[in-house]
Amino acid sequence: MIELHRVSKVYSVGPVKVPALREVSFRINKGEFVVLTGPSGAGKTTLLRLLYRDDIPSEGDVEVLGANLVGLGRSQVAALRRSIGVVFQDSKLLPVRTVYENVAFVLRVLGTPRREITARAFDALRAVGLSARAQAYPAQLSQGEAQRAALARAIVRRPPLLLADEPTGNLDESMAAEIVAVLKDIGAGGTTIVLATHQARLAATLRRRTLTLGGGRVVKDEG
Amino acid sequence: MLGFLVGEAFRDLRRAGRVAVSAVVLITLSLGALGGFWLVSSNIGRAVAKWRDQVRIVVYLKREPSAGDAAALLERVRGMPGVAGVVFIGKADALRSLKQVLGKDAGVVDQLPANPLPASLEVTPSATAVTPDGARDLLTRLAALPETDEVAGGGDWVERLAHWQRLLATIGLGVGAVLAVAAILTVTTATTLILHARRHETEIMRLVGASELTIRLPVLLQGMLQGLAGAVFALGALVITHSVVAPRLEPLVNLTLGLSQIVFLTPLGVLALLGTGTLLGGLGGWLARAGREP
Repeated sequence: MIELHRVSKVYSVGPVKVPALREVSFRINKGEFVVLTGPSGAGKTTLLRLLYRDDIPSEGDVEVLGANLVGLGRSQVAALRRSIGVVFQDSKLLPVRTVYENVAFVLRVLGTPRREITARAFDALRAVGLSARAQAYPAQLSQGEAQRAALARAIVRRPPLLLADEPTGNLDESMAAEIVAVLKDIGAGGTTIVLATHQARLAATLRRRTLTLGGGRVVKDEG
Repeated sequence: MLGFLVGEAFRDLRRAGRVAVSAVVLITLSLGALGGFWLVSSNIGRAVAKWRDQVRIVVYLKREPSAGDAAALLERVRGMPGVAGVVFIGKADALRSLKQVLGKDAGVVDQLPANPLPASLEVTPSATAVTPDGARDLLTRLAALPETDEVAGGGDWVERLAHWQRLLATIGLGVGAVLAVAAILTVTTATTLILHARRHETEIMRLVGASELTIRLPVLLQGMLQGLAGAVFALGALVITHSVVAPRLEPLVNLTLGLSQIVFLTPLGVLALLGTGTLLGGLGGWLARAGREP
């Protein structure tokens, strides 16, 4: 499903080179729920960005869903992303659209037949427990609800891979627990999940395989 | 899918608000000016074509030739380049014509001791000869005939009319072009605002793997919609102006140019105007898009 081989990423800030990842190698199998943890600046977000091909590595190979992401063309990147759901710390919901419209938007831009859109959007909203709030605008949602709406948007295409970058970063404990519960449900359905979080306690409570990053390297792979 | 893309384009237009309205107004002015000059120019063109068909050159002869000589002269003139037709008018025919023109005063002619009117040839130039150069050449050739006393007529004034027609068309194109550039820049500005407003949508679209066409098309479409709206308004203004002004001007135009009515643009012209508006708007949208590609 995912395989990284000696992946390094260096950002250039003017003449200064800032290493974000150093020779990272690991493999994630289909259906696994992997927690990526480590302090801020450890390289978690960089790693996720490489997985959905928002960036390319300075060195090494990244293979996701059977495709080597280095050297992909624009249309191939688009095709890859149709199989990946991504959730961010800020929900990135479109403020002028309702929750339902935000979820349906993804299906519409991908050309899903109109008759399927409503059913699939409500399936996704039910999966995150938000169908009752379908007509609410993002500004009317709590942070936990907004994050669940973002999750619904990410899974509405039923992608085999879900990447979550600090989805609980802005939430209190009870809201974070709600999101984690939803993620576990999604994972139970066979979706491969990579959850990046700096919250060590959250990572510990999940009791899943945990990759710990530090200084751009994988310092621990346990569980 | 197309419905979704068009819907997104309309949503974007609403977002652009007053800037989009400015762009539509500028396109309306631009195409209104272009269409107005075009309408006037095409009607003058009709008059020019009509009068060109009626241009005659009269060759007055030194003396009336015999029937045989007249037939030979007609044959020679018909063989000249630029001649579509020629008719011989004898002295007696000319006098009869004069009497007809004088009507009830025709009796005056009978007081004359002799027929003072010369015999003549009425030459109809071919289409190639109804140009300044063609007419000049033909006049020179006709004047060079040994039988010719004087040559009169020609299409100088028709050419002057044609010159005005060309001038009007050029002014229309010039004014239209200046306004068109302003319109394109305004559409570009409107689209830039739209691109800023829809940056979150664009980000999500890229994230979920939308095709480039799906990402770009709404932006291009909203530009084209601005252009099309401007063209429709311009056409509406032209139709209203034409229906109000034409009936009032037609008597004058009939008297001066010989046109019984001022006609509106042809269906092809209407389509061209709509197409130009859509193209201008699309160009503005494309320019904004092209300047902001990552």
